[in-house]
Amino acid sequence: MLEVTGIDAFYGKVQALWDVTFRVAKGEIVTIIGANGAGKSTTLKTISGLLKPRKGQIVFEGADVTGLAPNRLVELGIVLIPEARQLWPAMSVLENLEMGAYARTARPARAQTLQSVFAMFPLLKQRVRQRAGTLSGGEQQMCAIGRGLMARPRLLLLDEPALGLAPLLVREVFESLKSIREQGVTIVLVEQNVRHALALADRAFVLETGRVTLSGQASDLAHDPRIRDGYLGLAAV
Amino acid sequence: MQQLVSVTLSALLAAGLYATMAYGLAVIYGVMRIINLAHAGFMMLGAYVTFTLFSRFSLDPFIGLVVVGPLFFFFGVVLYRAVGKSMARSGATPSIESLLLLFGVWLVLQNLAYVIWTGDTQSILTSYTMKSIEIFGVHVGVPSVFVFLASAASLIFLNVLLKRTYLGKAIRAVTQNRDAALLSGVDADRISATAFGLGTAFAGIAGGMLSTLMAFTPDFGRSFLLKAFCIIVLGGMESVTGVALGALVLAVLENVLGAYTPVPTSLQDAVSFALLFVALVAFPQGLPALFARFERKAIR
Ligand SMILES: Nc1ncnc2c1ncn2[C@@H]1O[C@H](COP(=O)(O)OP(=O)(O)OP(=O)(O)O)[C@@H](O)[C@H]1O
Ligand SMILES: [Mg+2]
Repeated sequence: MLEVTGIDAFYGKVQALWDVTFRVAKGEIVTIIGANGAGKSTTLKTISGLLKPRKGQIVFEGADVTGLAPNRLVELGIVLIPEARQLWPAMSVLENLEMGAYARTARPARAQTLQSVFAMFPLLKQRVRQRAGTLSGGEQQMCAIGRGLMARPRLLLLDEPALGLAPLLVREVFESLKSIREQGVTIVLVEQNVRHALALADRAFVLETGRVTLSGQASDLAHDPRIRDGYLGLAAV
Repeated sequence: MQQLVSVTLSALLAAGLYATMAYGLAVIYGVMRIINLAHAGFMMLGAYVTFTLFSRFSLDPFIGLVVVGPLFFFFGVVLYRAVGKSMARSGATPSIESLLLLFGVWLVLQNLAYVIWTGDTQSILTSYTMKSIEIFGVHVGVPSVFVFLASAASLIFLNVLLKRTYLGKAIRAVTQNRDAALLSGVDADRISATAFGLGTAFAGIAGGMLSTLMAFTPDFGRSFLLKAFCIIVLGGMESVTGVALGALVLAVLENVLGAYTPVPTSLQDAVSFALLFVALVAFPQGLPALFARFERKAIR
């Protein structure tokens, strides 16, 4: 479904990704593992069009989408739920969700999608009139996920969706990812909790300072000593 | 007492105009993070176009605004399409290039006006220019009342646009968090063009309204640009309400100082400049942030 080949990405003059290559098959959940600053968010930004790669190619469902603007990619079904929520603070929760369905491909089904988002996060329904900036951290995260779903993604990119959530909610978010996948959505997940992520994902790859150093089946990687020592050690505490 | 009513009334009437004028700057800054130095030029042009519609086609200046608004919107969009790429937003602060470019646009507009309308002072004299009506026992010029009503109408239109339509919500979304807007499928380029058109239209309308209140030359507009800066620094760029609030503060201050202190009217521009300075030093985030701080204190 998604083929990323030989991507180099830069912030100004500073290079953040070197020759990043991976593929995601339809219906899969793939997780990206890496230390802080390894380039996980940069990879997702590049796929979603926020950052234009200097080199390399991104193919989505057989079509070259390299360098397309984010709004075009959203219309094709590539949706990023970015790191740190990025809500519109002065808009109400309802407006945030409705604007999630701004793309012309998502607009017709807006009311219906909204109902399924409320079914997934009932708490949001009680908060519709509240300004998003005044929500609690966890509520904001739910709102951000809900807004992403409003765009009716076919490929959903999630950047640390469970950040700042209470353990019970983390479990809920992971459950909801499962049900999202069951609806036929392909998922690329970046998550600090590597143990959780590997348990959920089909495949995974590791980024180290902007390069892919390891990739394979999630179940294999979970037992790989390099992963265990490097990334699972702290997460197990 | 009479004077208090009179001061309050003229402050209120001026605030409407000021808000219209300042909103033009605010919407462009909000969406594109550039400071439209050509704003004064658009106001001047708005005054002249209104003047031409009046003198050539005997169109009433306030009806003329209905022409000026869409015309200037179109003009702004075309201008954005022509030079917009070099104004493209690069970061959180306006680029020097965009400032120079827009300053250049202002100079070109000024020279164009000299060529078309000469440097002679012009003014619009309608049948009601000298008339006044009595409100709460105070005499108020009819044009000022019309200006207030027209301002109120444009601000209400704007508020409905921003709050009720997809386009308006997209403008607010880009203002509040551009990346999030892009990721939701908003076409940043289209919204920038629209915002630039809206900002230009509001400048043109403000200029058209000013032309019914005072005489003008191609140099017209500079002091109003300063006032507009002052207002958006006070009121913030996020909301129509914030801008209206900033406009009211400036208008009240100007009128109070004019009525109760010996500060001569010729120093009125110094008032907005002083206020701008104080505002930047004392509360750089603008009035809304100040209120938010009070609110939080009150809750605690
Ligand atoms: N906007 C930016 N401007 C300049 N450099 C950036 C920018 N964003 C990220 N970087 C740099 O790019 C590199 C990769 O950052 P990235 O955000 O992709 O890391 P990450 O893997 O998501 O880390 P984390 O786990 O902390 O979120 C880092 O060295 C970072 O400093
Ligand atoms: Mg990150």
